[in-house]
Amino acid sequence: MNFDFSPQHYEFRDAFAAYLGEQYTLDRHRAAANDPAVHAQLWDGLTELGLFSMLVPESQGGLGLGFVDLALPLEEFGKALVPAPVVDTLVATDLVLRYGTAAQRDRLVPALVAGKMKIAIAATEPNGGFGAENTATTALPAGSGWTLAGTKIMVADAHGADLLLVVARFQPHGELGLLLLEPGRSGVTVRAESTLDLIGRFDEVGCEKVAVHAADMLGGTPSAAAVARLMDVAATVAAIQMTGIAGRMLDVAVAYAAQRMQFGKPIGSFQAIKHRCADMAVSADMARTAAYYAAWAIAEDASDRVRACSIAKSFCGDAARFVCNEGIQVHGGMGFTWELGLHYYLRRAKVLEYSWGDAAYHRERVIAETLAAPAKA
Amino acid sequence: MDFSYSEENLRFRDELRQWLKTALPAGWGTTVFEPEDEDGRARFRLDWEHKLHQGGWSGISWPKKYGGRGATLIEQGIFAEEMARARAPEGLNIIGRNLVGTTLIHHGTEQQRERYLPKILSGEEVWCQGFSEPNAGSDLASIRCRAEREGDHFIVNGQKIWTSFAQYSQWCIVLVRTDSTVPKHKGISFLLVDVRTPGISIRPLKQISGESEFNETFFENVRVPVENLVGELNSGWTIAMTTLAAERGPEDALGRQVRFKQELDLLLATAARLRRGAGSAIDDPVLRQKLAKSIVELEIMRLSCLRSFSRLIKGIPPGAEAALTKLYWSHVAQQLFESALEVLGPLAPLTGGDPRSPANGRFQLSFLHSRAFTIYSGSSEIQRTIIGERLLKLPK
Repeated sequence: MNFDFSPQHYEFRDAFAAYLGEQYTLDRHRAAANDPAVHAQLWDGLTELGLFSMLVPESQGGLGLGFVDLALPLEEFGKALVPAPVVDTLVATDLVLRYGTAAQRDRLVPALVAGKMKIAIAATEPNGGFGAENTATTALPAGSGWTLAGTKIMVADAHGADLLLVVARFQPHGELGLLLLEPGRSGVTVRAESTLDLIGRFDEVGCEKVAVHAADMLGGTPSAAAVARLMDVAATVAAIQMTGIAGRMLDVAVAYAAQRMQFGKPIGSFQAIKHRCADMAVSADMARTAAYYAAWAIAEDASDRVRACSIAKSFCGDAARFVCNEGIQVHGGMGFTWELGLHYYLRRAKVLEYSWGDAAYHRERVIAETLAAPAKA
Repeated sequence: MDFSYSEENLRFRDELRQWLKTALPAGWGTTVFEPEDEDGRARFRLDWEHKLHQGGWSGISWPKKYGGRGATLIEQGIFAEEMARARAPEGLNIIGRNLVGTTLIHHGTEQQRERYLPKILSGEEVWCQGFSEPNAGSDLASIRCRAEREGDHFIVNGQKIWTSFAQYSQWCIVLVRTDSTVPKHKGISFLLVDVRTPGISIRPLKQISGESEFNETFFENVRVPVENLVGELNSGWTIAMTTLAAERGPEDALGRQVRFKQELDLLLATAARLRRGAGSAIDDPVLRQKLAKSIVELEIMRLSCLRSFSRLIKGIPPGAEAALTKLYWSHVAQQLFESALEVLGPLAPLTGGDPRSPANGRFQLSFLHSRAFTIYSGSSEIQRTIIGERLLKLPK
């Protein structure tokens, strides 16, 4: 029993934090205005730090680590507003490793380790709410394979991805499963979406009569378990990033309150501001507790995985919302300016809050799980 | 990071589970409950304290030589979980175990530890806390209750307030002013006072719940032997900070989490049973959201205590983080009991004794109690100031 990270974990975090702090500041984001070259450089830098090898077993050329090892780096990614394709690829790596066929692993894992494979997750639908159970994207049998139709939204840079990991239903009312498709396959359309997030792009992906073969199916067969894990891992990764954003917003607000003078004093000396910052600190710290535990639960595929992930996603979502809003308030009029840039954090936090299930969706999962297994609760 | 238990941890847990089966009265939690009158309840809780001690389950992480079990904080965490699972009763000597014990382990002399610690664990000596005064609440350092040296004794005169369980206690930790010529934090001393000493009188204070857990305590020329001084003369403020950190810290919070979790479980069962129109209260989506929020927040309260334990085990000394813990749980628990009344809906006004009151008024009583959470052990305003100034380093 140990609820803390090891010294190596903290060194790892520091390595990522140092890299991002030098190479990937908010100013750089803004100056580059989504220049693909900057994103490519980031990708290469993170590859060099070993990011895409972390989840891969040593036997397959990776570092043999897990989501506990990734938790602190992911928190840094939240702070640094690392664009979504990075974390999507990490989530997809977990799924490929756990559910992929040997042939799929042989094909994808070396490319993932080398940083030469971007996988975008296509799960959310415009009319499906938050649960995968409402997935309307459906594959129907056609000849020796299937044909796929449906629409996905908020796919992180489908345009620049090498592969899409698509949540689909096999036969109307049939089982859910995951498909690996190239975004360029015939019948696939990609439309850039206009979103709150100012860094990176999100796409809508339309599928119309897309021919799909058994080899495209992750694991070679539909797997509701794989879809369930995808949703839990993605929710947890979002929760950890929101924790990072909350931490950054708290730090920025505290630093500002300590130096901004009004009435002849730093505003942080006033209880109205100091106490607000204290409440933000409580939220941010408890969010960490929830997010770290969920990281462990997905790393171990623990028996309380669903509950742990939903606890984290709901709590960290509320915490990021609270801390971002309060952080802007502490900055007064400056906080509302485009120029200061706090809205970059607010915007990213908002996108994460409404990705992979919002707080209300996950709270409902928590109570359903609790009532279904009172002994475990 | 690892949430699995070692073989030794699991043996501890199994042994505790076995013991609990025989130690709890038959029908406990279903047909047998705590006595409802205050004195009966206090006796019941003290009996439970004795039982725990006889079974070797008192002072889990205290050193063996002071009567503890000598186990780790991990086992302390397991103990709390098992107490929650068994819906075990609360003890009476909470101040003795959580506050006095910790303070003496840190600041007491070896003689003091040997004299007082074993009797705290055995429940022979119950303790209360004489810190606050009518004019020294949040501004605790401005206490005026004074002690003057006279030969081998201090002579104590003054008044304390909010001394919980004084009526059931044999001993009291008392902050006294021993020098009024220096800045207020530097003239305070920490005394151990036998409540049965002549000159001490106790007057119960009635709380908003109608009960009288806390008291006013008066000291009139009370003679306290000098060996009952903890630490150096005039160093009482530093020692009191240890006491307050323990009062606000993870061990105390984990014990409370167990209580809250038990009430939450009872609330979920009650919500499933209570009719609300066509369905049960548990089917109402608004109530489900609120109940789920409490489930989430209480689980994070537990995990947060375990996270703090891991830091303590590594030897990172406890500090101002305790303010985070206390500020968090106090508001979370208040919200739980607000939600409890919302679950009861039109039955919410019916208190214990009314035949239609769900859970016999338990939730109404807990709701009333909960109003104190954000006031005692340092109000939320004090906790926020500590967090702001000591953790976030904001200017004073």
